[in-house]
Amino acid sequence: MSDYVVSVVSNMGMIAFIALSAYILLVIGEISFGQQAYFGIGAYISGVLTAMWGWPLWLAMVLGCAVAGSAALIIGSLTLRLSGIYFAIATLSFAEMIRLGLLSVHVQVEIDGELVGPEGAEGFGDIRWIFENDVTPFEFMTVIYVLLVGVLTILFWVERSRLGTVIRMVGSDPLLAQAQGIDVVFYRLLATVFAGIIAGLGGSLYAHFATYIEPNVFNVMLGVHSLAYGLIGGLGTAVGPLIGVGLDIGFLEGVRVFQGYRMIAFGGLVAVLLIFMPRGILDEERVHRIKRWLERS
Amino acid sequence: MAIERELFAKMVDFVQNCIDGIMIGAAYGLLAIGFTIIFGVMRRLNLSFGPSIMLGAFFGTWAFLTLNAAPWMVLAITIAGTVITGIYVERLCFWAIRRDATIASMVSSFAIWMQLDEVAILMLPGRTYPFPEMFVSGGLNFGPFFVRAEHLVTLLVTILMVVGIRLLLYRTTFGLALRAVSESSDAAKYMGINPSRITFLAFILVSLIGGVAGYLLLATDQQVTPYFGLWVTFKGLIAMMLGGMGSIPGAIIGGLVLGIIETQTQWYLGNAFKDMSAYVVLFLALVLRPGGLLGQGIAERQDLAFRRV
Repeated sequence: MSDYVVSVVSNMGMIAFIALSAYILLVIGEISFGQQAYFGIGAYISGVLTAMWGWPLWLAMVLGCAVAGSAALIIGSLTLRLSGIYFAIATLSFAEMIRLGLLSVHVQVEIDGELVGPEGAEGFGDIRWIFENDVTPFEFMTVIYVLLVGVLTILFWVERSRLGTVIRMVGSDPLLAQAQGIDVVFYRLLATVFAGIIAGLGGSLYAHFATYIEPNVFNVMLGVHSLAYGLIGGLGTAVGPLIGVGLDIGFLEGVRVFQGYRMIAFGGLVAVLLIFMPRGILDEERVHRIKRWLERS
Repeated sequence: MAIERELFAKMVDFVQNCIDGIMIGAAYGLLAIGFTIIFGVMRRLNLSFGPSIMLGAFFGTWAFLTLNAAPWMVLAITIAGTVITGIYVERLCFWAIRRDATIASMVSSFAIWMQLDEVAILMLPGRTYPFPEMFVSGGLNFGPFFVRAEHLVTLLVTILMVVGIRLLLYRTTFGLALRAVSESSDAAKYMGINPSRITFLAFILVSLIGGVAGYLLLATDQQVTPYFGLWVTFKGLIAMMLGGMGSIPGAIIGGLVLGIIETQTQWYLGNAFKDMSAYVVLFLALVLRPGGLLGQGIAERQDLAFRRV
């Protein structure tokens, strides 16, 4: 594989994490404009730990995910009362608070005669872990996809279990779920925290793959894109967001014919797709039919 | 005496900031009215509201740069461009999609946003373009206070438009139909109102309001960038959420509050905190008082829940 293909495929893998995280919230019935905040938190925390303090990558990633998950727990409990557009705007303002806050974080230490650390809007460069440990881009791509497959396995397992049914029920009608004796608050927080951890994981991978991050990478465009991926691909299965990511990044990078017009083509394509499939390509009904078909044959 | 004079100077600064904030906030209020009407009629969020104003303004700038259009023509072209783009968005993202597929409409309007951005960049490649000044410029002094003429025009036009919208909503058949659809689109249908026609007309109305607000903002700044779309969408959303959704006085108050918060923090804490403060206040407002200052969103929702039970 050429370097270019490796970098595109790795990008798709890392964006898939945040798309999955937005998808989980869509399944629980909420629209979040703010998953990029957890992605950014994961990136910054793990980047600081490896580049400034010299921690091993896996430990830095675990802590990055933990901080992202705790932030999700705090924001999730604060926004429990909100739903619909209120929830969407609350998460948006949280994410923008994080992004604008990072713009004024200046913490740098000197390592080998060079200043390393987050420098506000100038960004945070020299996250050199993969160079120092001689990890090739191809190997790092493998790491990304192993982790992605791990997350997908968890999601598929949840989908088949009682937990998945409960979560879909909370998503489609919280009032009915409550009447059935389901602890709606608990499952909502569970899904929010899990979504935060997944986004944090994607972010910590991103920081080490890109070796340079800046607060404006984690702007609202990233969040709304990740939301759109789930809806393009379909809300019926965790494969949906991956289809969305593949269509967008694969399509953007792959089809050179549309150079200069690709957003016009892609935007129109998505708009037309949503007219005929308002819950995405693989929506609940289609997933159900495919499952039945697989069982019969 | 010296202390008193210092105190007086501080008071003057504070009041001057409030005046500037109200002037800017008036335009925010117009944007918030646009969001609130559309949300009221459709219960769906139009993310493309800002970008369609941006595209309209790009048409205006293009006419200004290539055809040397006069200010009033730029205004007309900006409004017409916004209305045409608004109709395009309505047909593709709202009319064509099932009424209950709210998230699909929102994501679709986001996809069209990307499209509008690219159209603007294709039309005028580059980052920043000059936007023609208004008919008036300069300023007026009121004692120790100074008001820019553009700001004064913005405020006057906003007041006129709010009065006009109020009359339109409460004194005409169209307004009655629009309010009926906002209340319940099903009930309105049984009364012989065609909700999709009302939605279409509401979109035109909102695009008109948006076009005027966009022109006022840009003519005050005298420059336009593709980022203006994002800026408008979020200022309008924040102002609407601050005031409470579905309420026109709420939208205006939300806009004014946002304007004052921004100018005060910019003056006392610096530019870095200007945007930050708006988001902090919005987040706290949503967490502590989810219905907004004047809204009834939460009460309405609980009411709905009880009815279903």
